Amino acid sequence: MPRLTIDGRTVEVEAGTNLIEAAAAAGVQIPHYCYHPRLSIVGQCRMCLVKIEGMPKLQTGCTTQVMKDGMVVLVDDDEVRAAQEGIMEFLLINHPLDCPICDQAGECGLQDYSFKHGQAFSRFEYAEKRTYSGKERIPLGSEVVLNMNRCIQCTRCVRFTEEISRTGELGLFQRGARTEIGVFPGKELSNELSTCVVDICPVGALTSTRFRFAERVWNLDKIPSLCSGCDVGCNITIEHRRGVVRRYKPRTNPAVNDHWMCDFGRSTFGRSAGSRLTVPTVIRDDGRRAAVSWKEALDAAIERLGRAEAEEIAILATGCVTTEEAFLLSRLAEALGTTNKSVLREVDRKREIPNPVGGVSGDEATPNRRGAELAGLHPGDQRLRADELVERDGASQCRVLVIADGDPGSRLHAPEVVERLRRSSSLIVIGWADSPLAAVADIVLPAASHVERDGTFVNSQYRLQRANKAFPSPTGVRSSLAIVGELLGSFKEDWSGLNEQAVFARLAEHVGAFSGLTFDTIPAEGIGLQMVAGGAPDSA
Amino acid sequence: MAFEPILLRNAGNPAVHEVSGYRKAGGYEALSKALAMEPEEIIDAVKASGLRGRGGAGFPAGLKWSFIPKGSEKAKYLVCNADESEPGTFKDRILIETDPHQLIEGCAICCYAVGASTCYVYIRGEYVAPALTLERAIADAYEHGLLGEDVLGSGFALDMRVHRGAGAYICGEETGMLESLEGRRGQPRIKPPFPAIVGAFAAPTVINNVETLCNVPHIIGRGAEWFKSLGTDERNTGPKVYCISGHVERPGVYEYPIGVTLDDLIAAAGGMYRGRALKAYIPGGASAAILSDEQSGLPMDFDSLAQAGSMLGSAAVVVMDETTCLVRATLRLAKFFAHESCGQCTPCREGTNWSEMILARLEDGRGSESDIDLLQRITTNMSGTALCALADACVGPVRSLVTNFRPEVMQHVEQGCCPLPRQSIFEPGAVS
Ligand SMILES: Cc1cc2nc3c(=O)[nH]c(=O)nc-3n(C[C@H](O)[C@H](O)[C@H](O)COP(=O)(O)O)c2cc1C
Ligand code: SF4
Ligand code: SF4
Ligand code: FES
Repeated sequence: MPRLTIDGRTVEVEAGTNLIEAAAAAGVQIPHYCYHPRLSIVGQCRMCLVKIEGMPKLQTGCTTQVMKDGMVVLVDDDEVRAAQEGIMEFLLINHPLDCPICDQAGECGLQDYSFKHGQAFSRFEYAEKRTYSGKERIPLGSEVVLNMNRCIQCTRCVRFTEEISRTGELGLFQRGARTEIGVFPGKELSNELSTCVVDICPVGALTSTRFRFAERVWNLDKIPSLCSGCDVGCNITIEHRRGVVRRYKPRTNPAVNDHWMCDFGRSTFGRSAGSRLTVPTVIRDDGRRAAVSWKEALDAAIERLGRAEAEEIAILATGCVTTEEAFLLSRLAEALGTTNKSVLREVDRKREIPNPVGGVSGDEATPNRRGAELAGLHPGDQRLRADELVERDGASQCRVLVIADGDPGSRLHAPEVVERLRRSSSLIVIGWADSPLAAVADIVLPAASHVERDGTFVNSQYRLQRANKAFPSPTGVRSSLAIVGELLGSFKEDWSGLNEQAVFARLAEHVGAFSGLTFDTIPAEGIGLQMVAGGAPDSA
Repeated sequence: MAFEPILLRNAGNPAVHEVSGYRKAGGYEALSKALAMEPEEIIDAVKASGLRGRGGAGFPAGLKWSFIPKGSEKAKYLVCNADESEPGTFKDRILIETDPHQLIEGCAICCYAVGASTCYVYIRGEYVAPALTLERAIADAYEHGLLGEDVLGSGFALDMRVHRGAGAYICGEETGMLESLEGRRGQPRIKPPFPAIVGAFAAPTVINNVETLCNVPHIIGRGAEWFKSLGTDERNTGPKVYCISGHVERPGVYEYPIGVTLDDLIAAAGGMYRGRALKAYIPGGASAAILSDEQSGLPMDFDSLAQAGSMLGSAAVVVMDETTCLVRATLRLAKFFAHESCGQCTPCREGTNWSEMILARLEDGRGSESDIDLLQRITTNMSGTALCALADACVGPVRSLVTNFRPEVMQHVEQGCCPLPRQSIFEPGAVS
């Protein structure tokens, strides 16, 4: 691999690496706008000019590849700084400079670089600024709005639709100082990944209809986690303000979603804001629902489970449960002596997210169906398995049906399914959404939502990834893990009070696919589970 | 100045529009001769002739041809640049209109030399008549076996097509032209890779100007030594078609050995318009730095003009007399570049437009002395930082205005208006 020196630091990089990446590897930042690691290189913004020993002129770092040993590059250099200042000045002369009312403020490439590479004053007279009048608020499609006055013509968005979504809705129109971005006549920006153009736009020209002007970004807390929209398992950042999720942004993971996520996944950010279950309730003998203490609710559940014949008990989880929750549910079934424990697989539209290693696709609305199965919730051939309960009359043969419901979008909430499930003599629901299903349950155990708990998920590639708790649950609510732990603990004492780490440790002991792993050492980019003969990993 | 024209020798002989007439005038002999040579020999002859590109940059033609990878079976292309959009330039049009087969012959020799089997002539959209003339000549050449499957029975196959542009200056820049040729928005590509390696349709491609290619049959026909005998020195050889416009009595194209002076050219064009005094001139098209009357004795060749801080460019000579306001003239040029910038890269998109705005206020008398420094600074930030040479093209005249003619700009600032009377280039009624 060729070695080169950048600002005196020597690095070795793969032949063909460009100077922006090579510098980053050496810990040196080369400012850039048009360059994006996943888009074709166009050398248009000219922000990345650097000095290369032996070259008469400054060169663009994005277009210059390191091919052989011995290149000497200067970024920390007067001539380079002068060029950067010059480019910044050009970019700012026609830029509105009204950051206080711009939605991008706080995460703007122009703002960031102006502080670092620009000048403190402007030479341009305001009256002469170029504006694209009437183009301050052009909806490009249902998800994205363009303000042409803020655009710096980096063409990232155009290249995205050409090269990543491969839908080609956007183009560059006009020329010179009137150059503008737009949709081709008769088209609109409508592809499953369309909001990604907002993420890659370095300035505030493109905004998301779901987020624009909803919140100043510096007020947001950001927690790395996973999207639970489908089994692709896109890595995301949950951005919330005091417990109200404002948006999901993709978090780069080249092995999974790369820099992207789909519009549908983003649209699920508001799920946890729906009406919540906040106190345990029980339907009393008089047929009235009453709020009760946790102890009373749990005792009631334990009592019903303890009284029922083992094979009259069924445990059903949605594919939104964490692997740890699924494992405890499976253990609970075993403790009760029932084989009726399953996870509901919900097939959905196929989704595909491109990445450099061939992309990931998924066709389930159930983000962790695989993890739940590995942890012991088999569809198997039990009598009262998921499809029997949901699609047919299985529930009428149940004395007690326990449902771990992690997902307000689940099919479990369809009226006809609710009616079928209600046929069980007793219905216990562990969940967070104030759903039609919870409304008819005999015992409701309010749980933390999917953004309020830690846990692991296994995506369609059998990659194990961690979802993280973004903020605490409302008071009075417990995590599903704790709730199931309490139920299980009453039948098997050594299983009570376990946290995620401890449950995962036991899972790793029992299930081959997880052996050797620990909860806290799962890498940020996840880890592919060991496959055994037959294609699927070894399961419990 | 007596000079037997070479490239324009057939002007005034419309018979040469047909293969028969062109042959009668000695045409296509060089092609026959070339087809009997080894391709490598042709490239060597062109190298030895010292022929430099006539499109603007003056790059040695033979050297460019030698960059085309040899021995590969991959398709190769020649793209002839007939976009001719540099203001003041109109020589390629005349070359095509007066003698289309000369260009076809030059293209054919070049294709044979570099192993290209397809030649595109990318012609400026406004050139309707020349495009038709060329298309007719090409059809005639096919009929006579000078193009097609088997050129003159040599086994060499060559296809030639005319592709009409849609009127953008940037499509004259060679990679912008390739984008346009391939059906995309005309905007330059990043280099490297150079077209000789990755050009049209990702294949190795030679791009040459019309005039450059028109020289080729003569080099093959009469030899490199003869070619070198014309011109200033070893590095500036051959005949040159100069386009003279502006304040002269007879604007037009004039062919001389490369390196004549402006004074010679003005004399050839019948002297200054109405005998007025020369004030300044543009020696090589809109992108060249403006020179003053004191520099009218310079040899108009590549190196002498470069040394004087300007360039021969496309040899579009614009003569400006004492009635010309140079701020206004430069404003007009800046307007052109701002209009023609493709807009993809920052320094050019913003810098050309900004230069135009500053020049406009200076010309209107609304400018200040600091605007002059501002222009200095902007042009510094534009030069060498853009993706293609258009930004530098705008820098040429603008920078020269503020360095070579600062007092005139200052007059605008001090008087609060343009010190020269507004007038069209020619007085009303002066030309009948
Ligand atoms: C903005 C710009 C416009 C150009 N326009 C033309 C043109 O109209 N005709 C031309 O022959 N070359 C033009 N050129 C030069 C070409 O890029 C290229 O160098 C030339 O065609 C090569 O041919 P030559 O080596 O035979 O001169 C232009 C260059 C630039 C940067
Ligand atoms: S809208 Fe944004 S991403 Fe698109 S070209 Fe403009 S600045 Fe770049
Ligand atoms: S210098 Fe001007 S014309 Fe050339 S690529 Fe940049 S914007 Fe386009
Ligand atoms: S990042 Fe290199 S030119 Fe834009």
